[in-house]
Amino acid sequence: MRPTDSVTVTTVVALAPDAAFAVFTDEVDAWWRRGPRFRSRATEDGTLAFTGGRLVETFADGERYEVGRVLHWEPGARLVFEWRDRSFAATESTEVEVRFVPDARGTRVTLVHRGWDRLGPNHPGRRGARGHAFLDVLGLWWADLTVSLRALTGRH
Amino acid sequence: MPAADVALDRTLAALADPARRRVIELLLDGPKPAGELAQAQGLSAPAMSRHLRVLRTRGLVAAERGDPVDSRLHIYRLRRGPFKRLRSWLDDIEDYWQDQLSAFKAHAERGARGRRT
Repeated sequence: MRPTDSVTVTTVVALAPDAAFAVFTDEVDAWWRRGPRFRSRATEDGTLAFTGGRLVETFADGERYEVGRVLHWEPGARLVFEWRDRSFAATESTEVEVRFVPDARGTRVTLVHRGWDRLGPNHPGRRGARGHAFLDVLGLWWADLTVSLRALTGRH
Repeated sequence: MPAADVALDRTLAALADPARRRVIELLLDGPKPAGELAQAQGLSAPAMSRHLRVLRTRGLVAAERGDPVDSRLHIYRLRRGPFKRLRSWLDDIEDYWQDQLSAFKAHAERGARGRRT
């Protein structure tokens, strides 16, 4: 996989890595943003939790929506989990990796979202829900060109 | 679906083929004649011509006649508009996660203050 098949974002949080990791995982429902852009239902927010080796959103009516399996769990250092939208087929998934690195101001948290090239060109994400505009096109392999395209269009 | 998304869909459909993506990569270095694009991929002139027609009708490339008869000498270049939409899609994903990390930071640091007091 070429490194341009990903999006990377980062922040620095004023906590030690162990504490930052604990808040990221144990308190995921408290910080994970709400509303249809960030949660799996358009009409109602469930409760998110890392539980049983999975990231799951549980709703009042009892539905458990599985965002994805946890692939790597290394407290204070590194977390990897699958990330899929409702519009994905059961076999389709992308991957989120979060690294926690000590920093003078606390912990640098770096999140990488990758794996779009695993989705087929006709995958159901292309019919994604309103509010998930970017998922409509997740499945097409184009990310290899990302860096060059960004240079072409004059940013970064 | 909003008009902009339809346009983006067309852009992505045009890029779904590896030979056409390779054309885009080659043209990122600058305009090139059709014959050179075909040669670079070991494709016949008619096969490359079909790919170029798709890219042209989707507005991803533009052509200038390098020769009135020989289409292999037509010069192709990238058009920027459709790629700006692609970039904007990538920016949406970045925004999504940057919003998430900002919320995480705000929550974690609120909690940290709470734990200290």
